[in-house]
Amino acid sequence: MTEVSIEGLTKDYGSSLAVNGISVKIADGEFISLLGPSGCGKTTTLKMIAGFEEATAGAIRFDGQDVVNVPAEKRDIGMVFQNYALFPHMTVAQNLAFGLEMRRVSRSDIATRTARVLEMVQLSGYADRYPRQLSGGQQQRVALARALVIEPRILLLDEPLANLDAKLREEMRVFIRDLQKRVGITTVYVTHDQAEAMTMSDRVVVMFGGRIAQHGAPADIYERPVTREVAQFVGQVNILEGRVVSAAADDRMAVETVLGQFAVRGIPAAASGTVTLALRPEAVELAGPGTDGTQATVSASYYSGSLVDYRLTLDNGQTINVQTFPRNRWSAGDRVTIKVDGDRFWPLGASA
Amino acid sequence: MTISARSAKPFLLIAPAAVLLGVFLVLPYINIGIMSFRNPGNGSPYAPGFTTGNYLRLFSDSFYLVQVGNTLMIGAITTLACLVLGFPVAWQLARSQMRFRGLAYGLVLSPLLVGIVIRSYGWTILLGNNGMINRTLINMGLIDRPLALMYNSLGIVIALVHVFLPFMILPLMSAIQGIDPSIEAAARSLGAGRVTAFRRIVLPLAMPGIQAGCILVFVLSLSAYVTPSLIGGLRVKTMAVSVVDALIDTFQWPFGSAMALLLSLTGALVVLIFARLTRMKWKAN
Repeated sequence: MTEVSIEGLTKDYGSSLAVNGISVKIADGEFISLLGPSGCGKTTTLKMIAGFEEATAGAIRFDGQDVVNVPAEKRDIGMVFQNYALFPHMTVAQNLAFGLEMRRVSRSDIATRTARVLEMVQLSGYADRYPRQLSGGQQQRVALARALVIEPRILLLDEPLANLDAKLREEMRVFIRDLQKRVGITTVYVTHDQAEAMTMSDRVVVMFGGRIAQHGAPADIYERPVTREVAQFVGQVNILEGRVVSAAADDRMAVETVLGQFAVRGIPAAASGTVTLALRPEAVELAGPGTDGTQATVSASYYSGSLVDYRLTLDNGQTINVQTFPRNRWSAGDRVTIKVDGDRFWPLGASA
Repeated sequence: MTISARSAKPFLLIAPAAVLLGVFLVLPYINIGIMSFRNPGNGSPYAPGFTTGNYLRLFSDSFYLVQVGNTLMIGAITTLACLVLGFPVAWQLARSQMRFRGLAYGLVLSPLLVGIVIRSYGWTILLGNNGMINRTLINMGLIDRPLALMYNSLGIVIALVHVFLPFMILPLMSAIQGIDPSIEAAARSLGAGRVTAFRRIVLPLAMPGIQAGCILVFVLSLSAYVTPSLIGGLRVKTMAVSVVDALIDTFQWPFGSAMALLLSLTGALVVLIFARLTRMKWKAN
């Protein structure tokens, strides 16, 4: 299996810098996601790893070996494309056999390996179908099987679930993740869907404007975003201004906010003046009016089954978004009390 | 809407075209078919009574059979040349985002903008013994005597390729545009080099366009009259030229009709065999 190391990777299209000197190490068997809005350079990065785009500068190493000058067909990668890119004139079995034929695998081995992988993606009975005779989800699994059957060093996936409907997309997330763990293949997954990136990945690399804004475990990214951009891209967030009052116990700083004074983690001891704080909507709890906490008015509520989203207006006019379980329900116009644990605040650095 | 009214609708949609084809294609063909069995006339286009003599004459005279063979050969070579020359152009037009794409597209269509007679005369100026090409080559000292570029099959093929290239490029272009570039990328990622990816993936997927373009160019080449008659002159005659000679110059309507039918039928047979050989299983339902 393979460890991937990207160093100072750059793609300059002349008119624009699509990827601007990114460096990241991907451990053997690790599943990492490149997450970001369209145009952030994530797909260009993937294409450079695959060998479809030439890097302007920097290195891409597979197990220490620079592959920048190795053509795509010699890199030994398995790639799944957003639109699956199955060969429409070949049956499922022929699609799977193609990569093996290129590797001069014997006919009988092709048959066994193809059958084994088809079983893995639960498509055993479909070997003789043409791609157009399959549903989107089935085509997706054929694409996955075709990439895996060659037993590549690295698996690359370019927004593979973007064309599926919501329910199937969630099923496929679990399916791909389980399969990846079973096979143990180093995987790079490109997506603009933060939920997808977080549920599937060991590590998430958040990209903006051709640079890595933050990388780390999904929980790191979500709970300790470094910038306002990252915080807002990865889920919903309330951004609050706070004023550092004094040092508090356990490396915390006392910060005064519109929701009251809290002992907040992660603020440098030397800090003074104002800080920007992130507060996730689900970190806020609501109680009936008049109890201890900040008072607010419900201006809208959005019920989505397992959760309810509220938009609250504080007495000073500021808006706070809250997400709770629908245990207690409030409707527009109700007065509520906001309760927050100081540990749920996280300070944001200035955006890069 | 009632069921019968609904099922009548498709027929209404094709009716105008069907009537047009019926009146101006099927009826004339029937007429030609009947004419081909009439007795040759003496001083008139045909005489009363019927005979199979026209066909017997056609099949017993190797002159005409060789001519059929030549015509088919000219058609096949023209088609192949259009395919080989047209594919890279179609590819470039379909795939590149070059700045002058519109201009290039116009250039591809440009042979169709000039009348066929004018264009063929143009070729005689270029290809003749005293023509521009031979003059230039002689003046440059590359050849002593003019190359035979006119009054032979080569000249006809050159001129036909020029005229019919757009009919090859346009269907090829739309077929290539229909091939998702990521399909090629997928082939590359699976270990296929550029050549293999082209042969195993691009070519089969472009086949509908290749098929359409080849059939169009082949059929047009068989039935071409003006270009072969001007460039071939009296020395090389294609079937179409001979048919017109028989009908208009020597006034042998029955024999001319028999030749015309033979030309159509052999052409149709070749197209049928070609379509059969290039049948795409993956396209069928």
